[in-house]
Amino acid sequence: MALNICWLNDLAKAKEAAKQAKKPVLLDFFNPQ
Amino acid sequence: MGAVTYPDKKVVKFVDYNFVPVQIEISNTALVNEFKVKWTPAIFVLDAEGNEVHQVVGFLPPEEFIPTFMVAKGKWYFNAEQHADAQGMFEEVLREYPGSAAAAEAVFFLGVCRYKASHDPKPLKQAYETLTAKYPDSEWTKRAAPYRLLNV
Repeated sequence: MALNICWLNDLAKAKEAAKQAKKPVLLDFFNPQ
Repeated sequence: MGAVTYPDKKVVKFVDYNFVPVQIEISNTALVNEFKVKWTPAIFVLDAEGNEVHQVVGFLPPEEFIPTFMVAKGKWYFNAEQHADAQGMFEEVLREYPGSAAAAEAVFFLGVCRYKASHDPKPLKQAYETLTAKYPDSEWTKRAAPYRLLNV
């Protein structure tokens, strides 16, 4: 098991991965400050 | 979220198993405008075509994050007409997190799923009765109010 969430940073790639994995996308908008 | 919820081991396992996670900084104005984000954290669940299934704004501790996004996953199954999988997810919310803020929504959608699977309106009335008894102040109890009139 991963120790941290392995976030992608590209929505298009996430949607493609979701199609392959048959999972939904969890899209988190965050403010790094 | 980054300091408390996302480092939580249960959250890491839950997200890894159930979702493809993607994190976007609010400096990405194209996506911020596309999703009309006005405040963070703003978390969306999307299907693979990018259609929005669920949206949450504001902080969630781990014990609320997991049931909230279990309901979102259930709605994703529901939208794909995978009613048995959706039902399983809503039942798990009620078994594992009955006191969470997401539980009332799980009761509502569990009733809808059972109705969709059986075409018997009884589960809708049962959902209303459960909501009235256990979550009387929930918005989902109000949304289920018409089901009290079902003659079943």
